[in-house]
Order: sequence, then structure tokens, then C-alpha cells
Amino acid sequence: MDMDWGYLFEVSLTSVMGGGLYALAGLAFVMVYKATRVVNLAIGEMLMAGSYLFFTFAAMWALPLWLAIPAAVLASGVLGAVIERTMIRPLLGEPPISAFMVTIGLGSVLVGLVEMIWSADQRRLPDFLPTQAITVGDAFLAPKIFWGAVIASVFITAVLLVFRYWRGGVALRATASDQAAAYAVGINVPRVFSLSWVVSAMLAAVSGIIVGSIGGISSSMGVFGLTVLVVVIVGGLDSVLGALVAGLLVGLVEGLAGAYLGGEYKLLATFIVLVFILMVRPYGLFGTREIERL
Amino acid sequence: MNQQAMSPRRRGLMLGAAATGLAALTQPLAVLAQDASEIVIGGSIPMTGVFAFAGVGINDGIQDYVKIINDAGGIKGRKVKYVPEDTAYKVDVSVAAFKKITSQNKVNVYYGDSTGFAKTINPELERNGNILMAGASFASELNDPKKYPHQFLVGPDYTEMFGILLKHIAKEKPGAKVAFVYSDSEFGRDPIEKSEAAAKQLGLTVAIKIMTAAGSVDVSGEVIKLRRAAPDYTIFHGYILAPIPEFITQGKQQGMKSKWMGTFWTMDSSTVMKMGADGDGFMGVMPYRYYYDTEAAPMLEKIRAMRPEYQSTAYTQGMLAAMLFLESVKRCLDAGKPLTGDAMKAALNSLKDFDTGGLIGVPISIPGNSIPVGRVYKADMKAQKMVPASDWIKL
Repeated sequence: MDMDWGYLFEVSLTSVMGGGLYALAGLAFVMVYKATRVVNLAIGEMLMAGSYLFFTFAAMWALPLWLAIPAAVLASGVLGAVIERTMIRPLLGEPPISAFMVTIGLGSVLVGLVEMIWSADQRRLPDFLPTQAITVGDAFLAPKIFWGAVIASVFITAVLLVFRYWRGGVALRATASDQAAAYAVGINVPRVFSLSWVVSAMLAAVSGIIVGSIGGISSSMGVFGLTVLVVVIVGGLDSVLGALVAGLLVGLVEGLAGAYLGGEYKLLATFIVLVFILMVRPYGLFGTREIERL
Repeated sequence: MNQQAMSPRRRGLMLGAAATGLAALTQPLAVLAQDASEIVIGGSIPMTGVFAFAGVGINDGIQDYVKIINDAGGIKGRKVKYVPEDTAYKVDVSVAAFKKITSQNKVNVYYGDSTGFAKTINPELERNGNILMAGASFASELNDPKKYPHQFLVGPDYTEMFGILLKHIAKEKPGAKVAFVYSDSEFGRDPIEKSEAAAKQLGLTVAIKIMTAAGSVDVSGEVIKLRRAAPDYTIFHGYILAPIPEFITQGKQQGMKSKWMGTFWTMDSSTVMKMGADGDGFMGVMPYRYYYDTEAAPMLEKIRAMRPEYQSTAYTQGMLAAMLFLESVKRCLDAGKPLTGDAMKAALNSLKDFDTGGLIGVPISIPGNSIPVGRVYKADMKAQKMVPASDWIKL
């Protein structure tokens, strides 16, 4: 069979751009794991919560977009704080499996809430991304995917800068590397925990809004979190760089599998990557070696 | 100990009471309380969960038809009772609902909520022998009177829906290139293989078949694939709404000229209207008339009088199910036959050019397990309505 390079390029471009969304959602996961060592299995559902909040503000209350988006992100931040304070904080000092199980429960609680408040119907978010088609040479790029990737990279850059230069970010990194030492130098560790959940929930909301505006929203959109989980495990649970690289990689693998093998092979290909990486590097591409196994 | 001897009379009374109690225990109380002459419609209805958008309408449709019949004096003087249970669209819950409803009532006909349930409950239905069942499923697999002798579909099966669309395409544009886009699920895969053969027979080419992963949000890779195949018509199946709008929007942005089509569960007016401006001209197969159709239809007028606001096609589906159930029961009673599954199914199959009061635009016959008739409708976004794009097509 003749290789159609144009097709390969077009599909790869779209897939890598789509992978940007995995990277952003992965970042939300890593944020919590890095600071608190909690494996948040409800990441997909938090994403969903963010997109429904946006739906409420933008479509139901008809707020203008410049207000609806920040409102949804802030409200998600509050949700993150509430989750941390009521469900995660009480488990400080308990074995990691407890917090892990709580996040599984949290996932179904969020799905239940969404179905109670907004019903399980599929809905569409108002269009807010430009619809002008993007072409790179002969290759076509869906505008939503392109702008989604742009927004994702803006946020990822912002998070990286904040981590590097802001006091709170430094405190977070300090806590991540050694909790006891962080306490000793006067860092308010519980507050750092809170902060990490708030930031994580806000990042999840941003990716939820983008994901929702591409594919519509429903109470089952948390499935997106499954791929995000693969991304962060491949990248190494506590590595920001890992989430970025793995996000793009998984996006690419998924896209190529879909293009050349068929849609039914997408998840299969993703998980083969997962198994392969775990065999070669059990702590992920860029993860710390001493990661706790559950 | 100071024990009194029991008088024979008292002993007799106690024995009698015990015997009654024993008899009551062997049969659930509700069955005893039930008026033996009642006709009972049981229902596994998805009032919550992912299928609730349809379940609520189905429930209303059945309820309204039962009311219409009871207000007119019932069937040969026998009242109709409708006993629904919420299933959240889960097979295990649905089976539990079936057991509960059939143990507390003498159920004659039953509405099931899914293909999974229809297949799971079938052996039980055979054992019972006194229930005729239909439901929300249009699975081609159920369209087999040998395997599913006591069930039927309230419309064409999914393969027949494709058949109707393909027939329309072949007429509109002979030799057209067609694409099938479907979900990686039992629902999605259902009609694909047979429909590919059917397309060939009609002189159409299936340019590409694209299966999308369950729950995948980003379909841009699939859109590229679809664009390169350049179909004249794209038929979506196995979805409710997502990711169809995304396919259409991205496809149009990339300059695709395809016409877009869907099958029953996508085709409710409210669902198609959610597609927005890009959904204008979206076509699909619908076996029923829409609530707002203007052609003469006494049943639709009745519905509009009972419910002034728009009713979904799921409502019509529920109502038609109830209508066919009760027509079968009526024919059995008229012929003096017992209400067994076999007799009711035979009565259903005896329907020849049956008038549904306009719910379906042409008189119907049910020779097997399905009603192989439908019409192509098209979205008019300006009017916010689905308008007929073809005549009624019989297979």
C-alpha cells in the first residue's frame, strides 16, 4: 500500500493538538498528586463538573462569556476547596488507599449530582471558539481543536511559571519534596494541600470547558478521565513535564490507531502504551522512583 | 399452668383463618386484591439515567393511551392498568422490575427498556407464556419470530431503518457514495454489515465505514478520514446526539458536501434542534409522525388536545406500543381466545392495513416482529421543525 504522507501529517497534527487537552487535564491530576500524594480518580468527573458549571452560567443564566468562563473556573475552585476540606483533609495520615477509595466515591457522587441537577441528557455548550478553518499546508485542522490546544498551552505555561516564581508555588514544590521539612521552615502545609486542590479543580474546569465545547457534555463525560489516568501514569504520577509529554504522546498514539486501525483500537493502543511504559520504566517516563504502588 | 380447652367452634375458626392465611401466602396479596378482569401493562421504564430523555416520554405515551381506552370504557368492559417501574436503563434493575411487577400483578403485556433486557428476559418470557412484550429496542436481532416469539418492535429494526434511508438515497441520487459512521457498541454495529450488502444491491457504494470509540470526544481524526472518502451521504448510527454535531460542523468547515442522516433515537425534534445552524438539512428516518405534523391524523389531534406542549417521538413510540398491545388483547378477547403470549402474538400478526390514527402515516401490517415502514424527514432550522423529505417508504 502506498503511504499517504499528507494523511499521516494531517492526522498526526490533529492528534497532537488533541493531546494538548490530555496534557492540561493531566496537569490537574499531577498538581494534587505532587502536593498531597492523593491519586485522584475523580479527575474526569471534576472536569465534567467544571463544564456543567460553565453550561449553567453561559447557557442557563445567559451570562456573557467573559463572565461565564471565569465564574465557572472560580466556582470549580470553590468545589475543589470544599472537596479537600470535607473529604480529603480528614484522611491526613491515613493509608493512601483510603484517599484513593474516597476519590472513587467522589466520582460517582459528582455523576449523581450532575444527573440530579441537570439530568443525564446530552447537551451542547455555546460555541465560543472561533470557527474559521485553520490550514497548515494542505492539512486541515479543526478550529476547535486548534484553539483548544492554544488555550491548553497558555494555561500549562502559566502553571509552570507560577510554580517557578510565585511564593505559593514554591511552597507547593517544597511540600512536595519533603513535608516535614516544609513544616519546619514554617510553610502552612494544610493550606498548601487546599491550594493544590483548588488549582487542580480550576485546571480541570478549564479542560472540561474545552472538552465540552468540542464533544458536548453529558453525565458520562468522565470517561475522559480514564485516558487522563493513562497519561499521568505514563508520564510519571508526580511529573509536570511527564504529563505534558505523555499527553501529546497518548494523543498521537490514539489518533494514529484511530486512523489506521479503526476507532475500536484507540483505547487498546493507549493501554498497550501504558503496559509497555510500565514494563520499561515502572515509575513512568519522568516520575520519581519512590512512587508508592497501590 | 392454667390453660383453657379450645372450643370446637373456636378451633374451626382458627383453622379457617390459618387456611386463608396459607392460601394468601402461596400467592402474593396484590394478585388476590387485583380485579381478575383487569388488563395489565407492566413496564420497565428508564425514568432516570442516560435514557431518561426517552423514558419520560414513553411513560407519558403509554399512560395517555391507557387513559383514552379506560375513558372509553376499557376493552370489552375490562379496565386497563399500567404498572411502571423506573430502571435507570440498567439491565439488572430492569429484570428486578420485571420480577416485581409480574409477581404482584397478572401481567398481560410488558414494555421493556433495552435490547439487553429484551434478550435477558426472553427465556423467562417463554417460561411464563402469558405475556406479549415490546419495548424501546429496535435491534435487528430481535426481529426474529422464531427466537423471540413473544416480542415485537414498535417500528422498523435498525437494518430496516438503514434500508429505508438507502432506498431514499438510491432514488434521489442513483449510484451515490455513502458513508456509515457508527459507535463501537452493540447498538452501533447492529445494522452495518447487512446494510453494506443492501447498499450494493441498490447500486450504491459504501465509500467508508468509520467506527468511533465509545465516549470519544475528539473526532477530528475521523472527520479527516470521512472527508477524504468524500461521501455524498453520511449515515450516523448508534448515537443520540454527540458526536454527530461535531462531525457535521468540522465536515462543513473542511468543505464537505455530504448530506447527513441519522436513525430513530437521534431523530427526535428536540435532539436535532440542538445541532444548531449546522444541523440545517439534517435528515433521518422516522417511522412516526411528529407532534406538529399538519396532515390529518385523529390520534395526533387527541394528543395535542391532551398535551398542548411538544411531545417527543419517544412519547409516540410509547403510545403506539400501548395501542398495539391493547389491539392484540382486544382481538384475542373478541375471538374468545385466552390471553396467552402465543394468542396475542398471533392477533398482532393478524393486523392487516391497520390504522394507527395517523401515528404512522400509512396503514400498517405486522407480518413478523417489526413494522418495516418509515419516512425520511429533514431539519428546517428556521422553522425549528422536522419536515417530510420523502413519502412513506415500505420495505
